[in-house]
Amino acid sequence: MAYLTTFFWGWLLGSLLLGLAMGWISIVQHGEGVSKTWKRWLAALAVVLVAAALSRVVPGRFGYWLDLGLIMFALYLCGCAVGSWLRDWVVSRSAPAA
Amino acid sequence: MHGLFRWSGKWWPGVIPLVILWGFAAWTSTVPLEADLAQRSTTALKDTVLDKRRIVVAGRDVTFAAEAFSEEGRMSAVASVEAVPGVRLVNDETRLVPEAKPFVWSAERDVVRVTLGGSSPLPSSKSKLMEAARAMLGGVEVSDRMNLARGAPQRFDNVALLLLDQIAKLKEGKITLSDNKVTLSGMARELGGREAIAAALKNLPEGYSVAANEVKAPPYIFQAYKDPVAVTLTLTGYVPDNNAHAALVAAAGRKFFSEKVVDNLKASIGAPSGFAAAVVPALGALSRLSTGTLVVSDREVKLSGDALYETAATQIRAGLGKEFPQGWQFKPEISVKPTAAPVDPTVCQQLFTDLLGKARIRFESGKADIVADSAGLLDRLIETAMRCPNANIEVVGHTDSDGEEPTNQALSEKRAQAVTDYLVRAGLPANRFTSVGYGSTQPIAGNDTDQGKAQNRRIDFVVR
Repeated sequence: MAYLTTFFWGWLLGSLLLGLAMGWISIVQHGEGVSKTWKRWLAALAVVLVAAALSRVVPGRFGYWLDLGLIMFALYLCGCAVGSWLRDWVVSRSAPAA
Repeated sequence: MHGLFRWSGKWWPGVIPLVILWGFAAWTSTVPLEADLAQRSTTALKDTVLDKRRIVVAGRDVTFAAEAFSEEGRMSAVASVEAVPGVRLVNDETRLVPEAKPFVWSAERDVVRVTLGGSSPLPSSKSKLMEAARAMLGGVEVSDRMNLARGAPQRFDNVALLLLDQIAKLKEGKITLSDNKVTLSGMARELGGREAIAAALKNLPEGYSVAANEVKAPPYIFQAYKDPVAVTLTLTGYVPDNNAHAALVAAAGRKFFSEKVVDNLKASIGAPSGFAAAVVPALGALSRLSTGTLVVSDREVKLSGDALYETAATQIRAGLGKEFPQGWQFKPEISVKPTAAPVDPTVCQQLFTDLLGKARIRFESGKADIVADSAGLLDRLIETAMRCPNANIEVVGHTDSDGEEPTNQALSEKRAQAVTDYLVRAGLPANRFTSVGYGSTQPIAGNDTDQGKAQNRRIDFVVR
């Protein structure tokens, strides 16, 4: 893992920034989110993929691509979380003033 | 926390660019990553001794195939590839180098090259042997047919190097090491090489033994070539020692009265017994030929060339073999020189005078027995006499002034008669010859010196 982050820090940083931006936007975005049921299914899919990556059952290049995708996705989620929290903090601080 | 869960429902649109980003990352990074991992794995194995190493990287999975020389070596090689950062899985396709039973190594020499074959325990000993072979054999092509195997006997490298040193002493042949038994065959390069190899094999380490040593010594060769154009007798090959050398050259000088002796002989051990006793008469037979080659190889004497007349050819073919010591073989290939054109009696006289000016017919001291060394000269005199079939010839004997005159007179007559008899035996008609003796009454030089006396002891041919 450490090797991958040093080798591809650019791509990983990209996913993190993408996540930050998405998280920032999502607070003020109007429209339907993903339903609870969908979230469960997607969470289950993510667990399956992580399990597959950890157990190293996917061979060769596909295995590598899976690892890469999961790391990028994880960083994206982290970015989203931080972005949403920051935007929420900014919005909630400026609301009383308005 | 609850907020995060709520917000997360709206994060999905970013997944679309993320997937695109992922696609790009996968597209551009896979090949460089694989190359980097392959290079790191190779570096990790730098100090590990392996054969047939092959590393294939797919994604982060390394397929590692190799042949190791021990189980520990194999395990540690796999472990070092597994320890390379970034490697996810190692598909271990390593195995041990096959074990050779018996462990056979060989070195074979033929005309153009030396081939090293069989098994070698490690790549390092293989290259060491190749280098040593190139250095020892200087210039000879060395071909590597060795494969790698486990199960070499102790101190294999030292033994193989010692055996390589022996292959340098062979002209052709093979040395095989099977476990700790050495087998040798072939032909030594030089006389004495066989003995040198046998001596060197005594230095084999303990536990090793010589199963068979069938190295042969090269033939002991002596050659003489009589060249009628250059008027030389060329001697090449070997003689047993310096005394035999001097004796042979002296004998050649006596037998070949007009040729210059070119001496290229070398002294060497290994001569067959009775060497001088066979070579001296063989040189005598060669002196009777107009052109010819004498080859003595071990105990086989080959004489080829042209005799001056038919009877001489018959005498040489039948007579020479009888003079040889026991165990010697004689292979004559004697033909007869075409008869020369007839000439006038005056020319004949001139030819006789020329021949007898170069050399004299020699006899045993105080006797009328012709010395064998004079056979070449007599053959030439006979050939000349055959060229003037109508001339009558007087064979005249002379002595020096030593001793009583009646004795000298009788000796000169007997010697002239002995020569006449020799000519008749060669097939010339007896009625063409008269033999006369003058004792010491007609000297051609002073009798006060040994040289002068030698000139006076002579046979002359006078055409009437």
